[in-house]
Amino acid sequence: MPALRNKDCNYISNKEIKITFDGKSYSAYEGDTIASALLRNNIRLIGRSFKYHRPRGIYTCGIEEPNALVQILNEHNEPNTRATVKKAYDGINISSQNRWPSLSFDIGSINNILSPIFSAGFYYKTFMGPKGFWKKIYEPLIRRTAGLGKPPKNFRSKSIHQNHNVDILIVGGGLSGLIAAKKLIDTDNEVLLVEQDSFLGGILKNSNKVKQIDGKNVFEWVKETEKLILKSKNIKILKNTLVTTYNFTNHLIALEDKYSGKKIDVSKSELTLHKIRTTHTILANGHIERFISFRNNDLPGVMLASSFEKYIERYGVTPDEKPVIFTNNSSTVSLVKSLINLDCKPSAYIDARKEEDIEDETKEYLSKNNILFYPESEVEGCEGNKKVEKVYIRNSNNKISSINATMLCPSGGFNPDIHLFTQSKGLVKWDDKIISFKPDTAFQNTITLGSVSGNYEFKNLCNEINKKLSFLKVGDLNLEIETNIRDNLSIKELWETKTNKKSKWSKSFIDLHNDVTTKDLKQAINEGYDRIEHLKRYTTNSMGTDQGKISSINSLGIVSKILNKKIAEVGTTTYRPPYAPLSFAAIAGRSTYEYYDPERKTPIHNWHIKNNAIFEDVGQWKRPWYFKKNETETMHQAVQRESKQTRQSAGILDGSTLGKIEIKGKDALEFMNLMYTNAFTKMKPMTSRYALMLGEDGMIMDDGIICKINDKHFLATTTSGGAPKVFAHMEEFLQTEWPHLQVYLNSITEQFTTFNISGPKAREIVSKVFSDIDFSNEKFPFMTFKTFNYKNTQARIMRASFTGELGYEIYISPQHALELWELIFKYGKDFDLVPYGTETMHLLRAEKGYVVIGQETDGTVTPIDINFNWMIGKKKKDFIGKRSLTRSDTAREDRKRLVGIVPLDKSQFIEEGQHIVECENLPSKIKTPIEYLGHISSSYHSPNLNHCISMAMIKSGNKLIGKKLFVSTPKGTKNIPVEIVSPVFIDPENKRLTS
Amino acid sequence: MILINCPYCGEREQSEFTNGGEAHVIRPKDPDSLNDKDWGQYVFYRSNPKGIFYERWVHSHGCRKWFNAVRDTSTDTILKIYKLTDNKPDISEFQSSLKSPSGEPAVGSGNFAVKK
Repeated sequence: MPALRNKDCNYISNKEIKITFDGKSYSAYEGDTIASALLRNNIRLIGRSFKYHRPRGIYTCGIEEPNALVQILNEHNEPNTRATVKKAYDGINISSQNRWPSLSFDIGSINNILSPIFSAGFYYKTFMGPKGFWKKIYEPLIRRTAGLGKPPKNFRSKSIHQNHNVDILIVGGGLSGLIAAKKLIDTDNEVLLVEQDSFLGGILKNSNKVKQIDGKNVFEWVKETEKLILKSKNIKILKNTLVTTYNFTNHLIALEDKYSGKKIDVSKSELTLHKIRTTHTILANGHIERFISFRNNDLPGVMLASSFEKYIERYGVTPDEKPVIFTNNSSTVSLVKSLINLDCKPSAYIDARKEEDIEDETKEYLSKNNILFYPESEVEGCEGNKKVEKVYIRNSNNKISSINATMLCPSGGFNPDIHLFTQSKGLVKWDDKIISFKPDTAFQNTITLGSVSGNYEFKNLCNEINKKLSFLKVGDLNLEIETNIRDNLSIKELWETKTNKKSKWSKSFIDLHNDVTTKDLKQAINEGYDRIEHLKRYTTNSMGTDQGKISSINSLGIVSKILNKKIAEVGTTTYRPPYAPLSFAAIAGRSTYEYYDPERKTPIHNWHIKNNAIFEDVGQWKRPWYFKKNETETMHQAVQRESKQTRQSAGILDGSTLGKIEIKGKDALEFMNLMYTNAFTKMKPMTSRYALMLGEDGMIMDDGIICKINDKHFLATTTSGGAPKVFAHMEEFLQTEWPHLQVYLNSITEQFTTFNISGPKAREIVSKVFSDIDFSNEKFPFMTFKTFNYKNTQARIMRASFTGELGYEIYISPQHALELWELIFKYGKDFDLVPYGTETMHLLRAEKGYVVIGQETDGTVTPIDINFNWMIGKKKKDFIGKRSLTRSDTAREDRKRLVGIVPLDKSQFIEEGQHIVECENLPSKIKTPIEYLGHISSSYHSPNLNHCISMAMIKSGNKLIGKKLFVSTPKGTKNIPVEIVSPVFIDPENKRLTS
Repeated sequence: MILINCPYCGEREQSEFTNGGEAHVIRPKDPDSLNDKDWGQYVFYRSNPKGIFYERWVHSHGCRKWFNAVRDTSTDTILKIYKLTDNKPDISEFQSSLKSPSGEPAVGSGNFAVKK
């Protein structure tokens, strides 16, 4: 069957395209949406509903669509795409959703018969027991059936972000938006006009309501106006762009579909997220028609009246030649006129208003064209097999009759699209005349024009716009707008019609997207959920991706009737951004994969790669985790080898990632005494000290080694991840609390590359590399440093160690770093020097009982808790955190303290994060909670002791040395018996360090 | 995202700044002279009003300077920005300032977008 083309249409090209829907090929025209293309081929069944798997068709003709969601197979399997918005193109491959095995025969529709269990509060009442069912049965089941479409396939979006700074943003290129833009042509204002469709014109292109403007046919008028706008230098137009978000300080987000109606070119950006800053925002985003609830108001074939009209006028396709029209307002006569113009005729015109309230013109027009007319009547319901077949009408005498029809077009009135206005924090007000909410007071510089402001009258429009934009001091614009229908809206309040027939299958829906029925609303109120925000969450009403655009005001109407309150008293739920679903790819923009976060690499990085380093992320840094000696070596083997070799001969670590801060100035000493726990006053120049930095709460924040050059010059190291935080912390106190101190800070992390050489052979190696420096213990004792020139750059060697072995830290300019590293290896070869990574570093420090900030500490640990009393400058009057160390809580005796732990059976291994308890066996049924004494913070297999060593934080641990306790295991009920020991496992006398 | 007018650099996006919590909380000169309660008050307690709030900001991705701001927390409107060396502006300066048209109550949250 050829594609229908009922009407010559300016917005659809003559070029034929081929589309595929559920495996079948169809013809359509360029410019079609998926929905108009399918209607052209008489396809009305598009998908299955969310909960009950009921057959659903195309309900609307735009962004408000609740039903016609499809999957685009050739665009990375993109799910939940609105068929009424997405433009078709040659070769597009579409599939319906939420059905199995096929769209017309769907097993899931059994849910419709089981519907009593899926009623309001279903999620809160079901899946409650028995115990254990959640993980094994409910969760997998829900995961399999949840959602509508299938997730997209892995793809890499090239979407980008674009910023705009304009004076005026106009949202919506309809009649009001165009008038506003026309007024602004060639003014000093920089203007951006954003339109969601690919054509400007709004209601002028979507309906038959306006006949002429200034004596010109509307299509010509729009074309001419667009030309004028494009010619002016100050106005830009963005089409296919939807404003989704209205933030504070006039910041709006809009999403542009760059490939609307075209096949996506994967090498180019398909979406642009526009971030718009403006001084004034003009909202001219129109209105949305709402539906009416009646029995089976979800059947394929039910389509909103103005949407039906839009398919005729905007797409040139008539979805049906003899629809039944059901309305509660005066606007629908324009659809009748559109149909008559095409030699089609509605089967019936049902108007809920009293006969005397219906416009004479309408009545005359209907009788002149012999259209079956039912005043003061309503649709009781409709029936049919996967499509509308029969429509039941309750007339003014309460008699029900039926007529055969294949389409039914309800119109329940219009809601000003206040979504963006309320996002901007504007106040809305109920208007009894239009029976809807409309904008009242703006909070930001927001102006609403046309139907979004509740003004549906064309003859008033220019007046309204001239008045509202008078502050811009641009000339008035008066257009003669000639309409095809009577200009003021007359409407009767009608949310739901009375239902007569009751069958298991019959339902009257209030939310088509989430399958919420009007019965659910009543039930929820009966169960006590009578506040609108509670009701929404309990029933999931208006929580679908359409956000209840055609139905949320209706639910307020129904609720207000049950509660016997005014709708303004019931209130609305909060309108939250985005206005319509927004692709995550667009939000992420370029910040994905390697652009997500910068990668920092040390100057030795390429050497590490050549030597088979496996890397670990430390903050933004890439650090060698361990070096794989050969293909078959496991991580455990590598770490054991590196650790053993370092203690036996020597090892070298690339420590360049350590944070380094230079502190200089007249008051540097006073500042350092305040920032760190240690006392620096008596410290000799050219010596260094391990130091702790606390927060004002007394908890350890960071550690590092401080080198004192003199009282006015210090160098501090920080942990690799902590550098920015420590630097900012120092800056903050210098600026806010102690601005009188003359201190200057300089981050020098990247100005110095750092190597840590340690092991019994370390001295021999560095003596060879730096032959003119005396490394003897007398001339270069532990915790001292020397500065020297290396090829005309500053260099420094410090005797310090994080392994417990004799160690030197070399600080060198990055430009000479790699050659020096290689030189060290040249000399180190004879001494069995091994490169090691962070895992070995952690193991070696644990053997020595050194803590790692963030591993033993977690923001709740004081220096006393980890036995660092000796590092606190008690004689100092003040330092950050000092007072907190004597608070009743930090001085408590039963705080968790750092201890070492070894298993009694040396073959057993203890896992990090396990609990320490007093009992060996866990009872099969736990009646009273087992007391938790502490946790394992670090645990390694020590190659040098050949058994497991652990560090732990245990309540009053310092008093438990020598005691036997138990450590839990990830699996099983039997705990591991352990002994509490001192956390220093190797060289407690510091002989290796200091000789 | 709100705009913040850095007193040293000018108006910039919020993402360039870091919030530093309540302003005008002065570190005690002699911490040892304070009892646990008073010290705890300084370390842990901050006011959290709905409405006018004096707070600190730092232009962390800019000049790295700290400054103070007065913000209406219910609408995120910045009412005043001043340097650390400036005097604390009196609250009466802001009480007649722009409030949300929905007139939210002083305490609590919820949707007050509908004119009664």
